Amino acid sequence: MLIGIDVGGTFTDGVLLTGTKVAATVKRPTDNTDLKGTIMEVLDRLMAGQDSSRVTRVVLSTTLVTNMLATGNLPATALLLLPGPGLPLEVYQLFPNTFFLPGSIDFRGRVTEPVVPAEVESAADQIAARGIEKVAIAAKFSNRNSELERQVRDIINRRHPNLEVVLGSDIAGQLNFRRRLVTAYFSVMTQAVWERFIGEIAFALASRGIRAEVDILKADGGTMPLEVSGQRPCETVFSGPAASTMGAVALASNPRNSVIIDIGGTTSDISLLIDGEPLYASKGAKIQGHYTHIKAFSVCSLPLGGDSPLSVGDGEVRIGKTRLGEAACFGGLAPTVTDAFNQLYGLQIGDPGLSRQAVTVLADQAGMEAGVLCSRVENLVIAQLQQAITDMFREWEEEPAYRVWEVIHGRKFDFHEIVGIGAASAAIVPALARSMQVECTIPDFAAVANALGACVARPTLTVKVHIDTQNGYWVTDQEGRGGKVKTGTKMQMEEALNLARRNLKELALDRHMQDYADEAEFFLQEQFNVIRGWSTSGKIFDVGVQIAPGLIKDYQGVKR
Amino acid sequence: MKQTGLIFFPAFDWAISPTHPEREERLLYTRDQLFEEGVMDLPQIREYKSGLATHKDIARVHFCVPNVEAQITEAHLVSAGSALVIADAVMNQEIKNGFALVRPPGHHAMTVAHGNRGFCNINNEAIMVEYLRKQYGLRKIAIVDTDVHHGDGTQEIFWHDPDILFISFHQDGRTLYPGSGFTDELGGPQAYGTTINIPLPPNTNDAGIHYVLDHLVMPLLEEFEPELIVNSAGQDNHYSDPLANMAFSAQGYAVLNQKLAPDIAVLEGGYSVETALPYVNLGIIMAMAGIDYSNLREPDYSAARLAKKSVSQDYFDQIIKTQMANFRGREAKIQDYRRRFPDDYAYSQQIYYDTDGISEQQMVRLQMCGDCPGYRTIQSSARHSGWENYEVFCISVPMYSCPKCQEEGQRIYDEMIGKPGPFDYIYLQDRAHDVYRSMNTGRKVETVL
Repeated sequence: MLIGIDVGGTFTDGVLLTGTKVAATVKRPTDNTDLKGTIMEVLDRLMAGQDSSRVTRVVLSTTLVTNMLATGNLPATALLLLPGPGLPLEVYQLFPNTFFLPGSIDFRGRVTEPVVPAEVESAADQIAARGIEKVAIAAKFSNRNSELERQVRDIINRRHPNLEVVLGSDIAGQLNFRRRLVTAYFSVMTQAVWERFIGEIAFALASRGIRAEVDILKADGGTMPLEVSGQRPCETVFSGPAASTMGAVALASNPRNSVIIDIGGTTSDISLLIDGEPLYASKGAKIQGHYTHIKAFSVCSLPLGGDSPLSVGDGEVRIGKTRLGEAACFGGLAPTVTDAFNQLYGLQIGDPGLSRQAVTVLADQAGMEAGVLCSRVENLVIAQLQQAITDMFREWEEEPAYRVWEVIHGRKFDFHEIVGIGAASAAIVPALARSMQVECTIPDFAAVANALGACVARPTLTVKVHIDTQNGYWVTDQEGRGGKVKTGTKMQMEEALNLARRNLKELALDRHMQDYADEAEFFLQEQFNVIRGWSTSGKIFDVGVQIAPGLIKDYQGVKR
Repeated sequence: MKQTGLIFFPAFDWAISPTHPEREERLLYTRDQLFEEGVMDLPQIREYKSGLATHKDIARVHFCVPNVEAQITEAHLVSAGSALVIADAVMNQEIKNGFALVRPPGHHAMTVAHGNRGFCNINNEAIMVEYLRKQYGLRKIAIVDTDVHHGDGTQEIFWHDPDILFISFHQDGRTLYPGSGFTDELGGPQAYGTTINIPLPPNTNDAGIHYVLDHLVMPLLEEFEPELIVNSAGQDNHYSDPLANMAFSAQGYAVLNQKLAPDIAVLEGGYSVETALPYVNLGIIMAMAGIDYSNLREPDYSAARLAKKSVSQDYFDQIIKTQMANFRGREAKIQDYRRRFPDDYAYSQQIYYDTDGISEQQMVRLQMCGDCPGYRTIQSSARHSGWENYEVFCISVPMYSCPKCQEEGQRIYDEMIGKPGPFDYIYLQDRAHDVYRSMNTGRKVETVL
């Protein structure tokens, strides 16, 4: 028995899955001031009359951190930066309470300028004097050598042991110092609130007799165990669109190159599947306008949904952005996009008579036939969605490439289907697919695809290993893990791959996702010979291995 | 705010040979530095995807022997094509300026291409310049070659073109490859004075190069009034370059680009892959994007050490005086040439391709037209590295040529392909009509691009 709950901005959806049967679905309004309460209410309704001891897995996709970062009611946090030479410091002056310290590392991980303890102490004293309790430390190239960040942390720990500290190299070890400092900053800022929240959730579940594995959905479409998530709160942002996309993957049969549209009441979220894999945003999730190292799906959100209200003015039909209420066919007062499609195609959604009535009243105001009005609405909606889809394709096709073969072979997105999910997709997506001359799939349970996606998403884990045999070391982008290798030119790619796989297995074990470690795949295999003079003096390897987003082994599809 | 366009194309899967300076590793650390700094995330920067040049874009500049396919790899198409993408973006005013940070390089490649010279097969800047003229009708363009090696390929390509001001400063040719680029190389008889060479003594530092920039390069540009300035941006004047002996720094390069304010920069040489390139490339980008570069320095940078490497001021003053005079006296000198050579002007030259070990013999004949720069013919013979011997005849008609020269070029081509002769290939490069013909005389097959 599996439970998936997706907390959205307006509604929270839940599903209970037993084998291939959707045993229950629940939709409740979200109380943004009490997310735990909302989650538990949905859970209790799902579990009504069920045996809680049979639950084997609960997956939550929540907006807690997203909301926290959006509303700006955040604890004061300090940033200690070791930027070294390069871009001007103002580029990294993104947040208040930022301190710049001496100390620098180069791209080969060599320390080119030491930490100055007195300056660290002085900064720590100022932080403490300002009453700040949270500190993020980030050094440029700390992903190649975390030594300086750790030295700074140790100095702070000795001087002000009560300060809560997060290191950039632990949390965000990929290249890009700016994204690293942003990620570390928001992580330490939200960590305590998140830890309290997951503690409460764990307690509430236990008190209901649920002793199942509890997982949190991440922005990358994978899950992590509740207790692991404590250190990585920011990975939970934007899990909503990820839940929808994974739901479409679960419900559509064998999707390959597909466009997924989740059309809700007021928004449409578009994501892409390329060769069966969801497309990631090339620059990572954006928080408060800043790029981060958080992997997230590439999602285009439009303020257009089934409940978007229709109006007329100057003889033109307009589609409003603010939801006024439900569609007329469900008893709403004003005609909406859903009503127009309902009338145009005789879709029998809700009470079609109410759609007709509302649309006709509006058409009379505009002095046009009801059919003409509905067609114009359709054209507006289709044009907007089609434009967004085309822009996403172009953006993907025009992503920079750094190898000859990638440029020569180019990229062309040839898609064959649109998968529509969300409550309003049945009304709109078939017409869109016709217009784009592709197949249309509206799977069963499309309305709760998001909760189902959370329910059956498997864990994900990505590890990148950088090996430098000239300087005799390796580092990963996870938790500052690293070690030594033999210097020289003997190492072959095979050995580098093994090292990466070993790291992935160890991390998977730590994070209770060892069941999926064997399914990890390499996505990056780069090797460079380091030539000094005219001979090879070492090698540099960059290897990436991941448990990619996918569905849990137990999932066998759903049947009506 | 208009952005600075950037194409980063490190060609991580292309090398001349595994241990050659032009190898996969060359821009690896530049990648690390740019990506770690988050340069592509900056609001001042717009990253573009590399493009592909067409064979026609290449034939607009080069006579590739026997054909374009034989002289290039796919990497060359991407490198040249990326310069064209940046050129388009600048001309369409999507960006205020742009940098094609690409390899392989091109500034040693000359009009006739039998093989690889100085790591170059085809000339990226020249291909871009002729593309800009064809596509956007530009005419007067300045190319400033800031590579430590003399840009002899670019010089040769525009030697007879009075509308291209080619300025190269470089380490003195008596001490460095390719051994040319002296002050008396000033351009052909119809384009005298628009080729300006500034050989610099070894150990010239930031102060020296900036002095020459302020007192010679910038005044030349001001007087020439080009529609566009291109920086042929080599990075091997750097104090750590393993193939040269200069004392320039990353800061120095940034200052240079701020002063020069090129519309487009295209990467050329620079083989200090760790100690120079990451910092110099960052410096060029920052200067072009108007980002404060005062925090940029190499880890081993020592101002005092580089300041010691100074060169006599008299040397710079003398060369500034000489070259300003040569530039300003160019009209009179061209008139003088026209009087002395009223019909045509012919000369022979020998060109060596160091990378491929090819020796080429050329006979060049320039039409001394009074109305335009004049068409020219080139007879060229060379034994390629595969031991095939090629005798070819090339006719080049400039973009801004008079109808008579255009007709004459076509007539010579028609005549040559109609009669037996010693040539394996006969080429017509008609830029005015943007048509590029090649006749394989043995098989009687004509290719038209």
